[in-house]
Amino acid sequence: MPEPATPARPEPATPILPDGLVAIVKRDCPTCELVAPVLLDLAGADTPLTVFTQDDPSFPTAADWVVDDTDLGVSWHHDIETVPTLLLVRDGREQERTVGWSRQHWQELTGADALGPGLPEMRPGCGSLSVDPTRADELAVRFGGSAVHSRRVQIAPLEDEMEAMFDRDWTDGLPVVPPTEARVLRMLEGTTRAPDEIVCLAPPNLVPCSVEKVAINAVMAGAKPEYLPVVLAALEAVCTDEFNMHGVLATTMAVGPVLVVNGPIRHQIGMNAGVNVLGQGNRPNATIGRAVQLTVRNVGGGRPGEIDRSTQGNPSKLGLCFAEDEEGSAWDSLAVERGFDPGTSTVTAFCGEGPRIIVDQQSRSPESLTRLLADAMRSVASPRMVMGIDAMLVLSPEHMARYRDAGWSKQRFRDELTAVSMIDSDTILAGAGGIDEGLPADFAGVQLPKFNPDGGLTIVHAGGPAGLFSSVLAGWLRGPGGSIPVTREVRP
Amino acid sequence: MHDISDLERRGLPGVFVASEPFRDGAQVQSDALGLDTARVFVDHPIQDRTEDEMRALAEAAFDEIVACITGP
Amino acid sequence: MTITVLDPTDETTVPARQRVVRPESLHGLTVGLLDISKPKGNHFLDQLEEQLTGLGARVERYTKPTFTKPAPVDLRHEIASSCDAVIEALAD
Repeated sequence: MPEPATPARPEPATPILPDGLVAIVKRDCPTCELVAPVLLDLAGADTPLTVFTQDDPSFPTAADWVVDDTDLGVSWHHDIETVPTLLLVRDGREQERTVGWSRQHWQELTGADALGPGLPEMRPGCGSLSVDPTRADELAVRFGGSAVHSRRVQIAPLEDEMEAMFDRDWTDGLPVVPPTEARVLRMLEGTTRAPDEIVCLAPPNLVPCSVEKVAINAVMAGAKPEYLPVVLAALEAVCTDEFNMHGVLATTMAVGPVLVVNGPIRHQIGMNAGVNVLGQGNRPNATIGRAVQLTVRNVGGGRPGEIDRSTQGNPSKLGLCFAEDEEGSAWDSLAVERGFDPGTSTVTAFCGEGPRIIVDQQSRSPESLTRLLADAMRSVASPRMVMGIDAMLVLSPEHMARYRDAGWSKQRFRDELTAVSMIDSDTILAGAGGIDEGLPADFAGVQLPKFNPDGGLTIVHAGGPAGLFSSVLAGWLRGPGGSIPVTREVRP
Repeated sequence: MHDISDLERRGLPGVFVASEPFRDGAQVQSDALGLDTARVFVDHPIQDRTEDEMRALAEAAFDEIVACITGP
Repeated sequence: MTITVLDPTDETTVPARQRVVRPESLHGLTVGLLDISKPKGNHFLDQLEEQLTGLGARVERYTKPTFTKPAPVDLRHEIASSCDAVIEALAD
């Protein structure tokens, strides 16, 4: 006996239409009122007639061939957009349909003669209640709800729904948007991926995290559906071994995922790459990073005080996500530098802390500015740490102008910066200058670069047009046990 | 019941004591508040009792009350 | 109005709001007795106070201004900062 096939995921139950003629009407529709006598005629004829009424089950009359569809199940499942709609059904399947009143079409469909004497030749119908925009959410949840599988949680009548989110420990300390089914279904429309597709194994508990779970947390973060693909790509990036989110969470250092977005998606969803780019105020910037953090917290179990033992933390751990200003840059974007096509949208996850300002309002030459930047970045993590800690430099437009004017490429800048970042190891040995912290004695007598030349410094361009300030974000440890930046393409 | 619900949110184990006729209403309130608050019911009526009778009611309910605010 | 939300977690814990963890015993702890101000309730609480003291607990007495409304925020804050547990009585 052959094995039974694996059953497909059950479809939402579609009501089967009775054979014969089927009409969908509502009392609150002048055309339906108009054709009421025609329906009464057809009810008495040979072909069985069933009428589904959307608002009043006694319309067009109280009879056993009139069926209550006030919950709109039949109308919704059979895509009724107009009332009246007349269908011909055979063996439970629709053969043809006509919408509104047209003597000619109704006679063709029913095979009857001389329908509706005294009625005009034709009359357009009215909107079906099952496509009423004010009821769309309710119906999507009622009939489309089998698309989501997460546990439903009731908020009690006297519970304030915002307090309920806090009471269940689902937040990052700030209020979240309650993730109702309607909101989550709308969020899921932002991606073509199926709700039950697994995006990543969320650390620290390595829980398989579905698109649906990400969508729920994205709703809570306050994101819009069109941001969801970016959130999904960001989670793919942070949940890699190379990014090492588990390590990022468990460290006592103050780091979290810093997300940089490149490509057309930045404009499509209205991200900020300009004034106050690293600050508050722009919705996608603010909510995409937050959605990632909430997902790790709620699905993966990564909470402060539990796995998260960061000594002091930093405000970016609420979420830090921004767009690179590619159009104003003289250099390759971060994504292009990392091997992607400029037309591709990407998210790069960098393990970092909050930004620190670098002021240089006087350098006129690229050489001078580069020395200043090197000087300022010497204290990333501590002036005594070299090679082992990464950083991200966010160069502002006014600083970029120095390099554009002089025709320096990104690689030239990197080379020149490394050259002036060389540090005399003797000055930073443990004990040197009366400071216990520092390199072991066997590192004496050499020159070491501040950052590992093999990708230790990530460089992006962003910020407002005025201000001779750039920012550096300290990173974390490189190498096994540490984290390296990871880029993922944003897929719809 | 609101008070106990609020105090639990502030980290305090709490218990609410009422007379028997309050039982159903307290369940409804508890459901509405979304927290299954600890509660103990004593015999009614209350208002016609003497001081000694009130103390006797308290003595009879004491163990149950303590059990509501100690664990596990 | 009851709102239903979807669970954002990995669903390994109960989604309902939980009672706070209880101490093993009241010995050495401060128990607040909150009188809701209905007549006779004070006698009930006097007895509880005696027996709680016998258990080795410290007792603090509080009174609501009226039983018809939740306790004022200041009173709730005071109880929460001074006590380790609370007994509210006697509604009739």
